[in-house]
Amino acid sequence: MRAVLVKTLADLRRRRLQAAVIFLTVLFAMAAGTTAVTLMSQTRDPYQIAFDKQRGAHLQVAFNATTDRQLMSNTPALIGASASGGPYPASNIQFRFGDRKFYVDAVGRDNPGGAVEVLSITSGRWPLANDEIVLTRSFSELNRISVGDRLKVTSVAQTPSLTVVGEVVDIDEGSADLSSQRAWMLPAALPALSTPDSSFYLMDYRFPTDPTSAQLQSSLDRLKTSLPAGSVAGSLNYLLIRSIFNITNQILTGVLVAFSVFALAATIAIVATLVTGIVISAYREIGIMRAIGFTPYQVVEVFALQIVIPALAACLVGVTAGTLASQPLLANSSHALGLAYTPTFSIGLDVLFLFGGLLVVAVAATVPALRAAQLKPIVAITKASAPRGAGGRLLRQGAARLRLPRPVVLGIGDAFARPLRAILTLVTVLLGVATIVVAVGLPRSFELINNSETGAGNYQVIVTRTSAYPDSEVMRLLNAQPQTARVVAVGGQNVIVPGVGDPVNTHLFRGDSSRLGYMVVAGRWYSAPGEVVAPAALIRDAHLKIGDSFTGTANGQPLQLRLVGETYDINNLGHSLFMDISTMASVTPAVEPFLYDITLTHGSDVSSYVRRVATAQPDLLDVRASDTSLIAPVKIIDLVLLILAGVLGLIGVGGVFNTLLLNTRERIRDTATLKSLGMSPRQVVVMVGASAGLLALVGGLAAMPLGLTLHHLLNDAISGSAGNDTPPAAYGVFAAWELTAIPLAGVVVAIAAAMIPGRWAARSNVVEVLHAE
Amino acid sequence: MKELVRLTDVTKVYQGGITGALNGVSLAVEKGEFTAIMGPSGSGKSTMLNLVAGLDRPTSGSVSVSGTDLGKLGETGLARFRRDHIGFVFQFFYLLPNLTALENVLIPAQLKGDGSTDRGRELLEKLGIADVADRYPARLSGGQQQRVAVARALINNPTLLLADEPTGALDTHTGEQVMELLGDLHREGQTILLVTHDAKLATRHAARVISVMDGKIVDDARLASPERAPSEVIRMRSEEKLR
Repeated sequence: MRAVLVKTLADLRRRRLQAAVIFLTVLFAMAAGTTAVTLMSQTRDPYQIAFDKQRGAHLQVAFNATTDRQLMSNTPALIGASASGGPYPASNIQFRFGDRKFYVDAVGRDNPGGAVEVLSITSGRWPLANDEIVLTRSFSELNRISVGDRLKVTSVAQTPSLTVVGEVVDIDEGSADLSSQRAWMLPAALPALSTPDSSFYLMDYRFPTDPTSAQLQSSLDRLKTSLPAGSVAGSLNYLLIRSIFNITNQILTGVLVAFSVFALAATIAIVATLVTGIVISAYREIGIMRAIGFTPYQVVEVFALQIVIPALAACLVGVTAGTLASQPLLANSSHALGLAYTPTFSIGLDVLFLFGGLLVVAVAATVPALRAAQLKPIVAITKASAPRGAGGRLLRQGAARLRLPRPVVLGIGDAFARPLRAILTLVTVLLGVATIVVAVGLPRSFELINNSETGAGNYQVIVTRTSAYPDSEVMRLLNAQPQTARVVAVGGQNVIVPGVGDPVNTHLFRGDSSRLGYMVVAGRWYSAPGEVVAPAALIRDAHLKIGDSFTGTANGQPLQLRLVGETYDINNLGHSLFMDISTMASVTPAVEPFLYDITLTHGSDVSSYVRRVATAQPDLLDVRASDTSLIAPVKIIDLVLLILAGVLGLIGVGGVFNTLLLNTRERIRDTATLKSLGMSPRQVVVMVGASAGLLALVGGLAAMPLGLTLHHLLNDAISGSAGNDTPPAAYGVFAAWELTAIPLAGVVVAIAAAMIPGRWAARSNVVEVLHAE
Repeated sequence: MKELVRLTDVTKVYQGGITGALNGVSLAVEKGEFTAIMGPSGSGKSTMLNLVAGLDRPTSGSVSVSGTDLGKLGETGLARFRRDHIGFVFQFFYLLPNLTALENVLIPAQLKGDGSTDRGRELLEKLGIADVADRYPARLSGGQQQRVAVARALINNPTLLLADEPTGALDTHTGEQVMELLGDLHREGQTILLVTHDAKLATRHAARVISVMDGKIVDDARLASPERAPSEVIRMRSEEKLR
């Protein structure tokens, strides 16, 4: 064994560059994989821990403000709940802080404890007076509101001020950047802040065991049938909130798993290429080793250990780095859930991953090394290297027919001279370029969808009015502004859709809503009263197809609707309806818009417009520029994608570099011969560069369909997780020239990487090389 | 006759000066000559050939071929020089294994930008191996491989044909055939510089035999008629000088 180690270490010293390539590729693969595995193993647990600790509600139901309190109090027994909270009076209020206005659902509660939905106070205290309010920490941090700050309620005419006295973590709602938020006050404080159309009751239910989605739906159905019609105004369940909490980590985990598999596959390809190359070029050495007493398997050990030793170092560093990299994400989850962050990792899992990775690399190294064991010593010792066949002949002949310069023709032939090596190299290029395609495409798709959700480029200003300021006044004010080019007013009202458990939120438009930028996935945008469009989740749950007519219920009255198109909307996870306000007016004549999307004339100054309109009614209007920035989770995913693309791209370049190094070293005698025949150093470099260019071109071209397919699948998975189908426009985010430019850029990078072995070959001393043979 | 090659006080030292391959060698070769350089292993004869081919550079002294001072050329210049002026035949043929015989022959011409295959085929025909033009080196006999190497060396009509132990890897009969071929080329006017340790071969075909020992020229015999100059004479003269 000592001899094996001595020989292995000596070979490692001689092949430092190859050891470095192995170290880096294994490191990247292990780091990405460990991050994913750590996230996967932990993301389910923190929510459950916090949910149990804070006695989270399995089901939350909003009841109409007119519902009888006694009836509500009987509901826990009706649906078999083991514990309940409420009914709590609640009201949707608007308040102003600084120059910004916010909506929250203010809930009246005497204390933060109870049998269900314990609110964990993270800062300050519970309200003691009617002018005190507690916010969620998530909301406070997002909007930079602190304990002690004063908020002016603008949704009621008296505009009372409230003092923020505490911050809590509520396990029964999503984070502020993804969901609407609640705030808490003493129950006695609510009447002064409520209006008839904004009030409701909230009840929390907890069951003996965690119910399934079907069980929750069944409980909700029982509530609806047992109470007077229209009593149930809405509901929320823990499964949905858990998925909102975990959505970022889930997407990240999916992306990381996919790319760690990519990285590992690329690593296997590189390891196999390397070991095959080393064995091929070391025939004489193998023969000598056998001649002096190495057994066949000791020879294999020498070659496999040359890979396993740097891989072991990379696994150790990679697993540690991956575990560390996952910690900020886990800390973020713990923070959001109100849990104290403690470094979370599983030594068992890390060890398993370390040995798993090492095993894969060891197998990838051992299989090609077995060839060395099969060699007869005398054959090996009499041949300097493995015989080279006529590989690449067809390519060379093809290139020659194109009358390309001879160095280019030779380089093209060399690229595929060893077909297996070429294929393995193509795998690394393929994976690298495919990842780059995804990393370029997915953020664009995100941006496109984000633009459709935020109206980027279609409207610049959003105005929200309180009920104290009539719609007609808002329109008069907006139309009086010379910079106003178009106003689309938006209202909302819940509609009960057959087959869908919860009332569906509707977007009721007045004006040309087709110009707001909503993306149509299928069918068309509505164009007449009675026509609606909806996202995929609603269409699926209601068992509808485009062209179907159905009868909804709004305001207790039947509403005839016809589905004419599918749109994209992540709000309420794809459960919403879009229609003209006149459609709703047929059953609710009093329905009015409360939000206004304003398109300004070209060249208008958005800030001065916002200031001017806001000053007209500072308390009754919320005027702000449309926020088109990406939400934090999307930014994180974009960043991770970018890093992964960089890593996989580097592995791809490493694969090409590695193969060229092997090819160049293996063919150095041929190169020396060519130089002796008059090939100039520049022509040598061109020859090596042509090899690199061809490998990168073939790999890059093959990678484009793979990358585009992966981009397609990831888009579908992400859209699907938010209850939507991917809009066709989100697939087609690549310009035709980019589809050509990406593989060509890969060719340029590969040729640049080829400069090192190319220049080495060009500078090699012909006499020394030929003498050494 | 016109002088083609001149080595002036050439010294070549390898391995940081520990061993000297050539030690102050001066030599002139005229156009049209068939010169053999003889000597035992390590005497410096191959080094001399490599310097003339511009494959290596002298530690001191100068080498000029066809009036070109090779010391003044860079790597690219030397590559062009070899393409234009030198044909090289190696002991172990050094054919490119992934090219056919014809492709191997054509390589030097193609490096110059000449895409024609006519002369390549013509040379293979002339050397009697036209029938193996499309075969890969692995499927050729040693003699055939060396003939391909000779054809490759001649493809650009070199001013000077260098042959480093061209029969070293061949059996006697095949080696003799290759030497006959070189003799024929010489008779057609080709200048040849041959390195060999086989005195019999050298004296049978070359008109001038230079003996090298320990990096120095120890004898330079011009033979009016090679056929009448028995190898034994050369051997005796060399031994006398060494004494």
